[in-house]
Amino acid sequence: MLLNEMIIDENNIAFIPSLGSSFELNESAKRVIELLKEGQSKEEIVQTLSKEYHKRWEDIYIDVEDFLQKLKIYGLIQ
Amino acid sequence: MKYQKPTINRIDFALASKYGSPLRSQKIKSSIDGVSVNELVKEFGSPLFVFSQKTIEEKYNEFFEAFSSRYPKVQFWWSYKTNYLDAICKLFHKLGSKAEVVSEFEYQKARHLGVEGKDIIFNGPYKPKKALLQAVKEGAKIHIDHLYEINDLEEIASELNIEIPVAIRCNMDTGIYPQWSRFGFNIDNNEAYNAIKRIYEGKKLILTGLHAHIGTFMLTANAYAKETQKLIKLKNKVEQDFGFEIEYIDIGGGFASKNRLKGVYQAPEVVVPSANEYAEAIVNAIYENNKGALPELYLETGRALIDEAGYLLSSVFASKRMPDGKKNYIIDAGVNLLYTNFWYNFEIFLDKRYDGLSEPSQINGPLCMNIDIIAPNIMLPALERGSVLTIWPVGAYNITQSMQFIRYRPNIVLIDKEKNVHLMKKSENLDTIIENELIPQFLQ
Repeated sequence: MLLNEMIIDENNIAFIPSLGSSFELNESAKRVIELLKEGQSKEEIVQTLSKEYHKRWEDIYIDVEDFLQKLKIYGLIQ
Repeated sequence: MKYQKPTINRIDFALASKYGSPLRSQKIKSSIDGVSVNELVKEFGSPLFVFSQKTIEEKYNEFFEAFSSRYPKVQFWWSYKTNYLDAICKLFHKLGSKAEVVSEFEYQKARHLGVEGKDIIFNGPYKPKKALLQAVKEGAKIHIDHLYEINDLEEIASELNIEIPVAIRCNMDTGIYPQWSRFGFNIDNNEAYNAIKRIYEGKKLILTGLHAHIGTFMLTANAYAKETQKLIKLKNKVEQDFGFEIEYIDIGGGFASKNRLKGVYQAPEVVVPSANEYAEAIVNAIYENNKGALPELYLETGRALIDEAGYLLSSVFASKRMPDGKKNYIIDAGVNLLYTNFWYNFEIFLDKRYDGLSEPSQINGPLCMNIDIIAPNIMLPALERGSVLTIWPVGAYNITQSMQFIRYRPNIVLIDKEKNVHLMKKSENLDTIIENELIPQFLQ
């Protein structure tokens, strides 16, 4: 998983050394990537964010699903 | 910490260096003439067409002053087909515009609004004889499109035992493409002159005006200079040859609004001529070429006066991720309400500043049709369900050419200069749509 290579700086600019590609992300995206690197499943990430941000899991689910799809399109996860 | 939808964008340094930072810029319109777009949607529903009296008056005054400060006899005729909502027509009539119509329906609408026949120009290639008869009896200005119409009018003149004052519509090469040659008679090949000769020889009609409308969304004022020059030269010639007194020339409309034509990459502020530039070109051509008494100058400006006064408010209903990575927003207003979407790239404003990064996005309407695309490529931040978008400028042709398709057409409101909001047209419902339908007996 290329995502494991991702280095994120304090300005939320991310870099994948083997691709030479840079990305810009926001705080919650950074958090999802941390959780993915920890090995959490989609369902676990949804529950974690739901608790951390006090939001309905049904709403968080749509955003996480959408974000994971984009990571797949970028080739960062399978 | 405040929640933002997780967003990631690959950084394209080439894009960033060429266009600045498209990932962070947002176009915002939280109110129209001081009235909150969110409040408008809350009270009148979404989607919602909104018109601004202030902008209508500003545009009218801008154009009228551009012409009337240069020429002594100017009359505007409101082009009904551009937007024939009763209240909009009333506003233009109140400002001083008379009516320009192109069908029996539009003629009836003008009469219904209290416009006298003498204050109506009746244009168009299709004027049924019954409508023509009414227009003649009521003293409307009839602009003849073809030889059959000359015959029809001569028959009416005989029936009523009167001479009918008429104008003819002309077309010509003004150096623009496409050349509008299907309406009226061509000046360059003498067809117009021959039609006037035919009118003269018929002895039942009196030519009092010459009219042309060279095209639409004209981005060069010079084409109007050529048009005016040709009309005035024709005027001089037919006055001399047949003794007609041409009271007016009608140079039509077609002035561009500040909309963004697809395929034109410069901003409208750069490519669209100003009212003064159009006026200068037209008026100079009259002064330079006219012989004899100065004719009245008629204009049938539509789009340039109303397009920027119209907005369509629409709400985000849902979003999804497309397989190519683009974000796709589904809003509640479709292309059935936005006929001009097929040739314009509208400005799309957000109702507030949204936190987070913008992403390459697409905006689709609610129709279950693949063609329902409002904006195929637009950078948008993560919008919420219910976010209100303002689509602009949509005042010209979208009301008159919108179609009832799949969904009901929405409410239309007017914001007056005191910020009061008035309902101008109610949204459709099942009853208004099926009221003229009949079910055959055997199916009942």
